[in-house]
Parts: sequence; C-alpha cells; structure tokens
Amino acid sequence: MSGPILSLRGVTKSYAQGNAFDRLLGRDTRFVALDGISLEVARGDIVGIVGESGSGKSTLANIAVGLTKPTSGDVLLDGEPLSVLMRDHAGPWRRRVQMAFQDSSSALNPRKTVSRCLTETLALRGVPREQRETEALAMLELVGLGAELAPRLPHELSGGQRQRIGLARALAMKPDILIADEPVSSLDVSLQAQVINLLSRLTRELGLTLLFISHDLALVRTLCSRIIVMCKGEIVEQGACLDVLDRPSHPYTQLLIAAVPKGIAGRRKPTSAPSRGHAQDSVG
Amino acid sequence: MSAARRMNGALLSIEGLRVGFRNASGGVIEAVRGVDFAVAAGEAVGVVGESGSGKSLTMLAVMRLLGAPARTTGGRVMFDGQDLLDVDEARMRAIRGRDIAMVFQDPQSSLNPALTIGRQITDVVRAHRRVSAGEARRIAGESLERVGVREAGKRLDAYPHEFSGGMRQRALIAMAIACRPRLLIADEPTTALDVTVQAQIVDLIAELRRDLGIAVLFISHNLQLVAEIVDRVVVMYGGKVVEDGPVEAIELSPRHPYTGLLQACVPSLTAPVGPLVAIEGAPPRLGRMPQGCPFSPRCPRVVARCELEMPALLTEGERRFACWRPL
Repeated sequence: MSGPILSLRGVTKSYAQGNAFDRLLGRDTRFVALDGISLEVARGDIVGIVGESGSGKSTLANIAVGLTKPTSGDVLLDGEPLSVLMRDHAGPWRRRVQMAFQDSSSALNPRKTVSRCLTETLALRGVPREQRETEALAMLELVGLGAELAPRLPHELSGGQRQRIGLARALAMKPDILIADEPVSSLDVSLQAQVINLLSRLTRELGLTLLFISHDLALVRTLCSRIIVMCKGEIVEQGACLDVLDRPSHPYTQLLIAAVPKGIAGRRKPTSAPSRGHAQDSVG
Repeated sequence: MSAARRMNGALLSIEGLRVGFRNASGGVIEAVRGVDFAVAAGEAVGVVGESGSGKSLTMLAVMRLLGAPARTTGGRVMFDGQDLLDVDEARMRAIRGRDIAMVFQDPQSSLNPALTIGRQITDVVRAHRRVSAGEARRIAGESLERVGVREAGKRLDAYPHEFSGGMRQRALIAMAIACRPRLLIADEPTTALDVTVQAQIVDLIAELRRDLGIAVLFISHNLQLVAEIVDRVVVMYGGKVVEDGPVEAIELSPRHPYTGLLQACVPSLTAPVGPLVAIEGAPPRLGRMPQGCPFSPRCPRVVARCELEMPALLTEGERRFACWRPL
C-alpha cells in the first residue's frame, strides 16, 4: 500500500471544564487538549512526538490507539476511518495498533505472571492454545529477556524488565503500528539506552511503524526519522528529525532544546545569569 | 592524602557508612557497603548512580530517615564535629530541616494535600525558631518568593493541588531553605518534571547555592544533569563509591569504566546518530553482590581479578577510583 498507514484529519479533543453556572450561561469553558491536528505517518516511519505535559501528545496517542474518541475529526488506518473500523472491526484495529505505556508497574496486572500476561494476549490474537507457551517465550526472547522470567509476577521484575514485558505484550499482537508513550522516562539511563536500542532493532526487524512519545529530544534524535513538536494541543513544528533539531524554527522547539542537560558544557556561570524560562507555570 | 585532608575541613563527612536490610532468616543484606566522601561548606557535590547503587539509602542514612527493615550497620556521619549516627533523636530533629534539609523526588507525595503551602512552610519555621505566627508567615512568604514563586504572599494560602509539579517542587525547596540550612540534599529533585521545568529547578538550586552559600548534595542518575551545577561528582555502584573527583575530570577523562559508560549512554543533541551505548545487564541485586568488583559482570574491561577481589578506592591527585583496569 502506498498511502500513509495512519493519518489524522482535523482531530480535536476537548473536555468540559468550569462549573455548571458557566455552562448554564453558555460560557465557553471547554478545555481543548488537541486542536485540529492533521498528520500522516508513512509505513515504517519512526515518528517522535515531543512536547511537555499538557501539550496533548498523550491524548494524541490515546486517540490513535482508539482508547479516546476524538471530539471531532477522524483517524484513518490505511485510509479507513477509525469510526467505521471501530463499529465493524474493532478487533483488527486493536490488533494492528498497539501501545506500550509509560508506567510499567501500573500497565501490568500485578496478579498475573509474565507468562500468563503474554499467553492471554496471544489467545486474543487467536494463537492456538498449544502454541502459546512457546510463542510467549519467543516474545520474551524478542525483547531480550530470558525464559526464567516467565513464572514471575510484575513486582518481581526490575523497571527495565517490566518495560520490556509491556513491549512484548504489545508486540505479541503483531501490530503494524506501535505507539510507545514515554516508554523509558521511568528508567535509569543505562536501561534507557537498552530499551531505545531494542525499539530501534524491533522496528527494523519487524517493519513496524513507531510513534514514540517523549519529552527527551536527545532520545528522539537517536531513534526517530521524523519529529512532531507539540505545544498546547497544536503541532508547532514538524519535519525530518535532524533538520528540526539542528535548525529549529519555532521558539518552543528552541526552548525544549535549550533545556536538554549538556554536562559541563551547560555549566551555570558563577555570575548572575538570567535563568532559562520563568516560573510562569503557577496554576496546576 | 588529599581526600583525608578534604574530610578534615568538611561540612559533612561520610566515613565507612554501611546500610543493611535484615532478612527473614535474621541475616543482614548490605546495600551500602562502606561509603566515604565529604562535602565542604558551600560546595556542590553530585552523587550519581543507577537504581540500586545505594545513593538514596546513603542520603536517608545521613538524615537518619531509614525505615525498617533498613538500618545503618556501620560507619560515621560527621557533621559539625558530631557523629549524626550518635546524637539523640531530639537533637537529630533539630538538625533536620534547620542545618540539613532535604528535597525529594516526588513533590506530590512530599506535601500534605490537606494543608496550605504556607502552613507547611511555617510549620517548619516554627519547629526550629522561636518566632511569632506572623513572623513565621513573613519568613515563609520570603522563602517562597526566593524560589521564584510570583505573588508569593498570596500563594501561601494555596493548597498543593493548586500548584503545578514544578511549583510544588519550588514550594518544597522554599520549605527546605526557610531555616537557611548549611546543606541541602536534593534526591532526584527533577525526575518527575518536564525538561524545561527541570532546567528551571536546576537553575534555581545553582542560584540558591551561589546566593545563600548553601552546600548541595545533588543525587541523580543523570551525570549530564548534575554536571551542570556541581563541583565534584561521586559515582556509586553496588553500594560503593567507584569513582569521585572534580566534575571536569569525571566528564572529560573518567577512569572507572562504569563512569565512562554512564556518560556514553546518555544521547546528546550533537553526537552522530547511531545505536546508543548501552550498559548490558542490570545492576546487581541485593544479596547477590558479586564477590569482587560489583560492576564486573557488566564491565567490558573485566579481567579474572575483577571477579575475585574488590579493588580499593585509590587516590590520584584530587580524584579517587576503584578499578583494576582503569581507563
């Protein structure tokens, strides 16, 4: 297929806020999390979506995976609108678009062993019972984990291992598109590198299309071919990853780049230098 | 020995500190295994290491905030000529918050959601100083303003949920500096925050240190981040200090392979794009500490001796490292 594998057309998501009095008076009090987002993702693309909390990047991920319904606009998978697919073939959509979550401890059922978590997912994909165990072990191997983890419960795993199980579970559905929402932000730097390299290898080997949601520009630069910078529910800049990061044109992208820790090269001067940004984030 | 000399003039000197967990069979599993380092007055020191390196336990032991089953099993924590591990609880309570203050990772759970920000700061002030309620409130307002909260006087009456994550962390820092401590321990203070807010908080800590002369112990797993504001870096692994020294030396010419890898595995915005340097394997688990160097199972430079014998922390000029095959 030549068209984009995933496209969003004018996707808006807003939530009611404010009190009943405001609503009664017809005051516009809706909070707009996503404001008319349109984008296209080509098959095999690795797209980094960056922005801070509140930028709408996670809302975008949830909409693409079908967990959140957009207020307006449409999401298309291979040209077919999500609204139609969800009505007629929710199953195939869910199989083809999978998500790995940020917080691996809350994304896994604490009472289910690794093996059960994976075999249940494989059952959903229709893998015959007698093949599930073997395939679960293959999934573990795919994400670089040993078979000895199969009987363990999530709390018996390290953060890095849990994050890999979350990935293995998503990949067990053989998705076309994997959406990873801050998959490494809770990990130590050494494990971060392992998971990023793993994602890079998996996308290549499995021909996956990856949407990588992150606030870490340096990670996005390493992993992604394209970047989409979001701020307050809008796309403020997008393009080839290296182009955007080497020559950012939007001030918000420049702000994000300035905030990346730079080691001794970023040392604070002993003299009174103006600090980056201000405490304007006063309201929670 | 220069390390020993430094410790003599130190504000805080951790000497041979050990922390262990009592397990079900009555044995003790050591998680911090003989840690020594010092912080001079006004100095900023970064403590870097992965989860399980013992860095947070070391800080909790310094503050005497370890909860069961963890307990300090050896060593000294010298502050102001007294061993903090030896003073009685009342004295320790007076030191905590007044002389040594601590800021934790998660500003959400460090604040009481049912009390106003102002009340929580004034509580700290009044616990340590004999001042009137009005005076305590004035000090609280001043601290909040000092950490960059606008209209601080008004914001004193706000509740934690009315503050964003970055503002909550500022409020906690305001609380920490309200009594003008001589040492601020910040344990991963920016991990829960957005990058731009992280940069602001790091700026703020650097600024407070410069303006108020507060010594800072900055705990993080991100060497690039701490390098922006500290003078010296202590690298911990497997409950031990594996390397320490001036930040430039650590960053430009690390001697311990772990330090080198820790630096290399953080991607930058300028390096050529390629696979990241990963440290294969995982940190040693408690109770399964290798006999020799704790990093030996993951170390690319490992030789037979590393697995058998823990190298001593050797001093070389201003730095120390514990490695049989240093870089």
